[in-house]
Amino acid sequence: MNYDAIVIGAGANGLTTAHYLARAGKRVLVVEQHQTADPSADIGWVPDAVIRDLGLAGAGLQIETPDPWITAPLPAGGTLELSRHIDRSSEAIRRISPGDAAKWPDFCRRMRTLASVLERLYVVPPPDIETNDVRELARIAGLGLYVRRLGKQTVIDLARILPMSIAELLDDWFESDVLKGLLGALGIWHLKQGPRSGGTSFNFLHHHVGCAAGVFRPARSNVTQALCKVPGVEIRRGARARVLAKNGKATGVVLEQSGETIQAPLVVSSAPPRATLLPLAIELYPDFARDVSNIRARGVVARGTLALEQAPEYATFCIAPSLDYLERAYDDAKYGKDSTAPYVEVQRTDGRVEVHVQFVPLGAHDGLADRVAQLLKVRPNQVALQPAEESLYHGELTLDQILFMRPVPGWSRYRTPIEGLYLCGSGTHPGGGIPGAAGRNAAREIL
Amino acid sequence: MKQYDAIVIGGGHNGLVTAAYLARAGKSVLVLERQPRVGGAAVTEEIFPGFKFTMFSYVVSLLRPEIIRDLDLPRHGLHILPLESTVTPMENGDYLVAWGDHDETRRELYRHSPRDAEAYDEYGRLMHFMAQAVKPIIGMVPPDPTSFAPGDLAGLLKLGKHFRGLGGERLHALVKLMTMSSADFLDEWFETDVLKATKSASGIIGTFLGPRSPGTAYVLLHHYMGELDGVFRAWGFAKGGTGAVSESIASAARSFGAEIRCDAGVSKVLVRNGRATGVVLENGDELRAKTVVSSLDPRRTFLQLLESSDLPSDFVQDIKRFKFRGSSGKVNLALDSLPSFTCMPGVGRQHRGAFSISPSLDYVERAYDDAKYGEFSRRPYMDIVFPSMIDPAMAPPGKHVMSIFVQYAPYKLNGGWTDAKREAFGDAVVNTVESFAPGFKSKILHRQVITPLDIEKITGLSEGNIFAGELALHQLFFLRPAPGWAKFATPVHGFYQAGSGTHPGGGIMGASGRLAAMRILKDGA
Repeated sequence: MNYDAIVIGAGANGLTTAHYLARAGKRVLVVEQHQTADPSADIGWVPDAVIRDLGLAGAGLQIETPDPWITAPLPAGGTLELSRHIDRSSEAIRRISPGDAAKWPDFCRRMRTLASVLERLYVVPPPDIETNDVRELARIAGLGLYVRRLGKQTVIDLARILPMSIAELLDDWFESDVLKGLLGALGIWHLKQGPRSGGTSFNFLHHHVGCAAGVFRPARSNVTQALCKVPGVEIRRGARARVLAKNGKATGVVLEQSGETIQAPLVVSSAPPRATLLPLAIELYPDFARDVSNIRARGVVARGTLALEQAPEYATFCIAPSLDYLERAYDDAKYGKDSTAPYVEVQRTDGRVEVHVQFVPLGAHDGLADRVAQLLKVRPNQVALQPAEESLYHGELTLDQILFMRPVPGWSRYRTPIEGLYLCGSGTHPGGGIPGAAGRNAAREIL
Repeated sequence: MKQYDAIVIGGGHNGLVTAAYLARAGKSVLVLERQPRVGGAAVTEEIFPGFKFTMFSYVVSLLRPEIIRDLDLPRHGLHILPLESTVTPMENGDYLVAWGDHDETRRELYRHSPRDAEAYDEYGRLMHFMAQAVKPIIGMVPPDPTSFAPGDLAGLLKLGKHFRGLGGERLHALVKLMTMSSADFLDEWFETDVLKATKSASGIIGTFLGPRSPGTAYVLLHHYMGELDGVFRAWGFAKGGTGAVSESIASAARSFGAEIRCDAGVSKVLVRNGRATGVVLENGDELRAKTVVSSLDPRRTFLQLLESSDLPSDFVQDIKRFKFRGSSGKVNLALDSLPSFTCMPGVGRQHRGAFSISPSLDYVERAYDDAKYGEFSRRPYMDIVFPSMIDPAMAPPGKHVMSIFVQYAPYKLNGGWTDAKREAFGDAVVNTVESFAPGFKSKILHRQVITPLDIEKITGLSEGNIFAGELALHQLFFLRPAPGWAKFATPVHGFYQAGSGTHPGGGIMGASGRLAAMRILKDGA
């Protein structure tokens, strides 16, 4: 069997690229290292274009819209529940801080506007600021004009807020520790940074894309499962692939266990850029290899499942009682230890109960499950956690690793120095937490 | 009543630079300084008989060369002596030293890591280039990206062209420097922890950030702008202390005809029909001028000297939001003799340079952790110099003065600063030095401890922030001090701002003062 293209990885981005290529008439093989599909929920905004182009609605795509979207315990007992309806959230906040309640609608509106700018940037390849191509320059100018049309306040907000720490941003607006804690947690998602670190406001907005105003947790869906059901591509599971290249050109992949080689003139990898590129680039392109090895992709999150006797009432339960709590959780990670008191979030999706624990850096994880169980008031054997050794986003979403700097400066257009080898995973623009966006952008670049 | 062309509030180095440039252009100028002497935070004082200290700001290198040239400062007594080395004592008794001699430094680095010794020159070249690349921006009035005025559009276009002209690789390096933490940035270059710690220390000065906080790489670059060839820390020490820098600018201003009045604090700026008409002194005297310039920080300039009814309310909000969070303290010591450091025993040429107490990245980061939660660092980062080794006139014969810049000492200390807390802070500093130089404490004759609260009280700098406002990315360029008002003009006609709280800010640089004067002259004041 001859293939026109081989895609490495059957995650949301790999499958999205594969389907777009298949739709353009290419014979596509997807190779996936795991034997069985990952049953966990996909977290993040699935761009409308992906849903529409690939007919995902007909393939059983379900995007959850829980209301209330978050539940957080209050120190005096009871919980704070925030609704998809801004007014209802304001009511809930009023019980802990009337001042914060009054500011909530304006905050939601301002953040929504900023996220909409990111949405626009995310469904297209990153701006190429070095280009002399008139069309690309016109596109950049168009983006600039679009932002300026949103008004003076938006331009200032973008310049001021993106490099800010989420703690400074939230302190500007609110006084309630619980509210700032649950919002601040989104600013540190998958980052080895605390809420007082610059750039965490960007990370906060990154995870607000695709959400309704007033909802500050990314959507959860089964997009990967839906993509598996869409016909048109062949998926081979349980096969770990390595890219083959000759004379600076990709020639196919070799499957590591069997040693079988599969030829194709086009190879697209949704695996982390470092894993894909380092073995190939180190001798031929030393400068490029240095940049690739400098990608910061430190694992800080353990994800897992929670076995409960009955499904919980809440959709999302957040333990991040204050910004200081999150900052102290980060302090431990700075010195290489798991957080003594970690940020824990429980997410119920379609009956499955998953858990996100941060910070869990590389190293031994003594007593982690016990501490998480204690925070959630469950038995340790109900908690099953898998610490990630590397960032689940294949590269932390810090300001120096986004847009035209992602995955490495100068190679942000899904291409690599190896002809015929492309990247399409979270390690590329726009990064993790937006399933399908990088996959679609990459496919369009390839085609 | 005499009407001046311009009254400059505040006789710190920026106010003096503005005054000198205005006077040089033929304007009648009056400088009003609250303290008995000019200088603001750049003053030399004989705190203990025979022992002179540069109370706050203690090293010079950022002062713009065009200012030195335009105002002919050497003729007015400016004499900068080089500070040639930096020694970092390590906790295991070893040291890292950067000497004035490049080859010697390379050999020293080689001892720690051959790889780092190789990378060092390339790093130096890049930083030197980046500092050069940023310099035109420092000398430019920031264009306003929210405006559609032709001047702003042209400015933005010029900026875009300048950046694109750098070429891909350097443009990427600039993005990294603008956004990364100094620790992460240095990690890409070096493996020796003590080298990274010492380098990253330049990135935390004056900030309420640790070396692992994003944004500190920019401060690192800001401090590189003063380095002569980008490889050495070409910091200098002004003969007669930093006060001599201020004195020389004051002397230049006077030679152009400017009048300087000390012990003359300003309580209010007079505004009539949206226009500044003069000032009221603390003693109640009123003085008239066509133009009034404040070189005080933005908080005092807009929230103290003016009534909030003189200003648009969203502008007042922006100024209230401008962050100051002072984080640095200073300990000035009179010594009977020089201390001997365990890592490099005895007294020698190392004392003519700086000692950096930054033995590891974790050490500096932990110092920050204390401050983050409202305590002074139990084991602080320190930059130590012995000014009397460079300029013997600073101390009686055979005796010495020691200047210790300390971080972190948060302005908002848990429970507030008291005399007892100040002394406890001083003890933490002295005890930490003692751990690297046993016997040092017994050499101390006098000790002066300065907290951020003291800096605020004496110099007026809000929250004791030495940069008159934090050098954070969201407080730079067209956002310094507030969006729409970063071009030295203010919402009040005839009232200008010229201090370090405006672009480009911070350090004894004088660029803000010069740009403000240019703007005032352009407006035809």
